[in-house]
Amino acid sequence: MSTKSIREEFLKGLWDENPIFRQLLGLCPTLAVTNAVINGFAMGMATTFVLIFSSLVVSSIKKLIPSQVRIASYIIIIATFVTIADRFMAAFFPPVSKDLGPYVPLIVVNCIILGRQEAFSSKNTVGRSLIDALGMSLGFTLALLLLSSIREILGMGTFLGHQVMGAWFKPWIIMILPPGAFITLGILLAIALHIEHKTRSRS
Amino acid sequence: MEIVTLFFAAILVNNFVLHYFLGICPFLGVSKKIDSALSMGLAVTFVMSITAVVSWIINHWILIPYNLDYLQIVSFILVIASLVQLVEMFIRKISPPLYQALGIYLPLITTNCAIFFLALMAALRDYNFVQTVIFGTGSGIGFTLAIVLMAGIREQLELADVPDSLKGAGISLIVAGIMALAFLGFSGMIK
Amino acid sequence: MNLSTRMVVVLTAIGLLSGGLLTSVGLLTEERIALNKQREIEAAIIQVVPGTRSSEKLYEEKDLSVYGGKNEEGSLIGFGILTSGIGFQDKITFMLGTNTALTKINSLNIIDQKETPGLGAKITDRKFFLQYWENKDCSISLSLHRPAVSAPKELGPSEINTITGATVSSEAVLDAVNSTLERLRKLKNEGKLSKKE
Repeated sequence: MSTKSIREEFLKGLWDENPIFRQLLGLCPTLAVTNAVINGFAMGMATTFVLIFSSLVVSSIKKLIPSQVRIASYIIIIATFVTIADRFMAAFFPPVSKDLGPYVPLIVVNCIILGRQEAFSSKNTVGRSLIDALGMSLGFTLALLLLSSIREILGMGTFLGHQVMGAWFKPWIIMILPPGAFITLGILLAIALHIEHKTRSRS
Repeated sequence: MEIVTLFFAAILVNNFVLHYFLGICPFLGVSKKIDSALSMGLAVTFVMSITAVVSWIINHWILIPYNLDYLQIVSFILVIASLVQLVEMFIRKISPPLYQALGIYLPLITTNCAIFFLALMAALRDYNFVQTVIFGTGSGIGFTLAIVLMAGIREQLELADVPDSLKGAGISLIVAGIMALAFLGFSGMIK
Repeated sequence: MNLSTRMVVVLTAIGLLSGGLLTSVGLLTEERIALNKQREIEAAIIQVVPGTRSSEKLYEEKDLSVYGGKNEEGSLIGFGILTSGIGFQDKITFMLGTNTALTKINSLNIIDQKETPGLGAKITDRKFFLQYWENKDCSISLSLHRPAVSAPKELGPSEINTITGATVSSEAVLDAVNSTLERLRKLKNEGKLSKKE
């Protein structure tokens, strides 16, 4: 059982235990859909939906699930919500759904979601699990937004489709291609680690 | 798409790791030594080929005929989870030494996005049976290629003086970026 | 109940609930998704067959759909052909608009592509690529023309300008269009493109 305060429970997902920068989970979608801010945002929203509902369901029925079949159960629950998110997006937001393509179904194997069920929702109350899910989702979405902002601004000169760099700027196309994704994330991770070391040595 | 083209495209042009960003977790986690990288790669290729077959069967004999497309996500992931379990038990019985070599990596394969993506893509692109199997095997080999190359580079990096913050994931990702850049050169190879 | 039974019961229950939920969501969104797709195709047909007031699917095979664009009176005024070809990176899906005699291309509409951004992706750009497809004579095979700065040549009636730096993408579209037109001529001769009565 977690002993943190509600506030700590929520905030940990934003930095200390940020799924991408500290836990290094969910990297596949992070790299794939951050070529434009709108895509990063949509993926963040979809993942938030799946994480919140999966956590709610799992922590509600945690006492009913025998340990041996817990992973299989979590997977079915997660896959159900991912399908709902995917269908919903295809029906109501077709252009974004097209851009994100097969990466929305991939939320199923996003280690963040399964990880939280195993590490938290199965052992905590519904209330706490919700807070945890919210924190993690927000941390994940913010990381996605950061990465996609950098990639879109440098790679296309736009932000959310609007031109932000002047005509003098020749876009670094590489940023929206795979190499750009890898390198940007690598540098961001290094910066995050560096900040962590600095704050730790100071205290 | 022609079979040979499909095969080489899967390995080089549309490399699952360097182009589609799949299997990053094992890619970063298991690429420290060439041996383990090779073992993981082979295990993944093996599971991918079988998954290709089973997912195709389920998709074309059950899901599509009964208009159950929306169950694809749930079915495929369950298939993969079960297959990995079965493969693990099978290898443990048939060849204990092989199990020793591959064993620990097998459970990790369940969350390897590459396998799931494979099943989805083959269904999305409406590949026939042969195409699905070639696509699966080819992608697995592509993954193995990427992870072994990465391991080779990382073994060399052990001897280099990497700044503290970059150690581990940071430098690996940057290396991956350069590899991805190199692999971009393969685009256009297929016509 | 003992453990094994409990395991089976729990998994089955979860499975059934999941199935039920998914079926309802599936039914709810099915219509909308099909509608979106239909709207996209209709918009493309109207764009490539000017004057279209209604359309009808005339023929379909794997990776090729032929739609007929009809005017107010309901007469066929052109074909909207939905098909795809392999580009530099992946499949390029497009809608080609022609007249009913298959001798003139009205225009081309790229529906889906994953070419290199900034280079091959320019095939969706009217200024760089699509304008050259308008009102082209396709009674003979179309060919590519490489624009040269030093000696600007007038584009022939069946020539398309290549995108500088995106030869493969340009060629891919050209080849796909040429082979599609060939296939269509064959289908027309076989009478497969006439309106369904």
